[in-house]
Amino acid sequence: MDYKINNNGGSATVVFSGDITFSENVSFRQLLKDIAEQQVESCVFDLSSVDMVDSAGLGMFLIAREQAETAGWKLSVSGAQGHVASMLKLTKLSDLLDG
Amino acid sequence: MNSSENSSVSGNDRDQELVAGVKAAKILIIDDMALMRKIIGVCLTRGGYENLLYAEDGEEALQMVEEHNPDILILDLNMPKVNGYEVCHALRANEKYKSLPILVQSASETDEERVQVFASGATDFVSKPINQPELLARVQMHLENKLMIHSLSDFRKRMETELVMAREMQQSLLPERPVIKEIEKRTNATIESFYRASFELGGDLWGCWELPDNKIGIYVLDITGHGVGSALNTFRVHATMARFKRSKNDPAAFLTDLNRVLQPSFPLGQFATMFYGVLDCATHELTYAGAGAPRPMVISGDDVRLLDSSGYPVGIARKPEYVNLKDKLLPGESLFCYSDVLVEAPQEEGGFLGEEGLVSWVKELSKEVERPKLVSRLLKRFFSVQSDLLPDDLTAVAIHRKDVDE
Repeated sequence: MDYKINNNGGSATVVFSGDITFSENVSFRQLLKDIAEQQVESCVFDLSSVDMVDSAGLGMFLIAREQAETAGWKLSVSGAQGHVASMLKLTKLSDLLDG
Repeated sequence: MNSSENSSVSGNDRDQELVAGVKAAKILIIDDMALMRKIIGVCLTRGGYENLLYAEDGEEALQMVEEHNPDILILDLNMPKVNGYEVCHALRANEKYKSLPILVQSASETDEERVQVFASGATDFVSKPINQPELLARVQMHLENKLMIHSLSDFRKRMETELVMAREMQQSLLPERPVIKEIEKRTNATIESFYRASFELGGDLWGCWELPDNKIGIYVLDITGHGVGSALNTFRVHATMARFKRSKNDPAAFLTDLNRVLQPSFPLGQFATMFYGVLDCATHELTYAGAGAPRPMVISGDDVRLLDSSGYPVGIARKPEYVNLKDKLLPGESLFCYSDVLVEAPQEEGGFLGEEGLVSWVKELSKEVERPKLVSRLLKRFFSVQSDLLPDDLTAVAIHRKDVDE
């Protein structure tokens, strides 16, 4: 998994690429730290270049959502397709993450 | 240098236990010259070592190694009867002494000799005349290495034993053969089940039970992650499920009960995807509710239909609002439930199978394989394109209902 944060005056987009799985735990936590260090009001996780997300990956989205609620910014996901879109739908996290 | 000084040098920074272990080490000094044995002995005594043994030649050395099992050898090369090289060769040929540290000391120090010393199996080299600090430093280093490797391998052995025990305990959470037999009888079906944890312990679980009014219940669940943390949670979930006698007849209520109890105790980011179905063996009606588990398949002839198992995974939402859905599992049909690794595991050629891929495999195989062997054939195919080391736990369970006339 790779990610790139584009922060446009508080409205940020994180563009992910690669798979988001159990083994990406450490880089995902780093991402959350990176976001926390920036001034963001809203953040969109752009998943259009992600091929696969497993249940641990979905768990990381939930952790991000909790961080967003605590820090008072808005998290949403966009661009999910294929397996990623089906996983979000299957677990109804698409509702929760405002996808 | 005296002994108290030396022990304080190493004492502050290093683990006290390690220092004590090093100082208690048995050291065998081998030299045909009495003076050399004495010099080395005095040097080591000053360094705080008390457990010293001496041999006058290679033959005596080999005997003493057998008898006393020393921790390290300080070995001269040129000796009568059996020389130093021969001692090295003899010891390395014995499995017991493969990792015994051998410190060779020699006066002549050409490149060829060094090569020969190491080729014969020596661990390290000190040159004569003996430089005392160097000798002590090398002895200490090799003894520490030996002790650390030893304690690491002890630790590893202990952990392995513990994991095997924990794994056996976890296996005991799965339905036992007699229970499965009863369910097979009641549903007039053959049950195929496979379960494999990715790292010794897993976060997958499945189970089935008999219910009143000629019904049975079956569930599969997958707790996020794997390893010890997830495995401990499978125990928690398993114990919690046993509490809900009444709601076992009602899948949505059962998931709701489970979520209510588990949601506060699951750590953030962890949850269980789950499917629970109740089959009425008389009417063949299947009532089920999903909490985000991979969609189970009903296999009918060589056709497959997917059950809608979507829903909030257990453990994340306060009001997940699970709903009961209805389908049929007729005689001759099969219900196949599996964990996500089947569709998500990276394949050797890149990519992953995906749900569509798995469905097409099931369709193909159901044309050529007897139904009760479908899952085992499916997994055989899966492992033919998959390395044995899976990134996640694997569960695959199928209820193959027999045709009425069978």
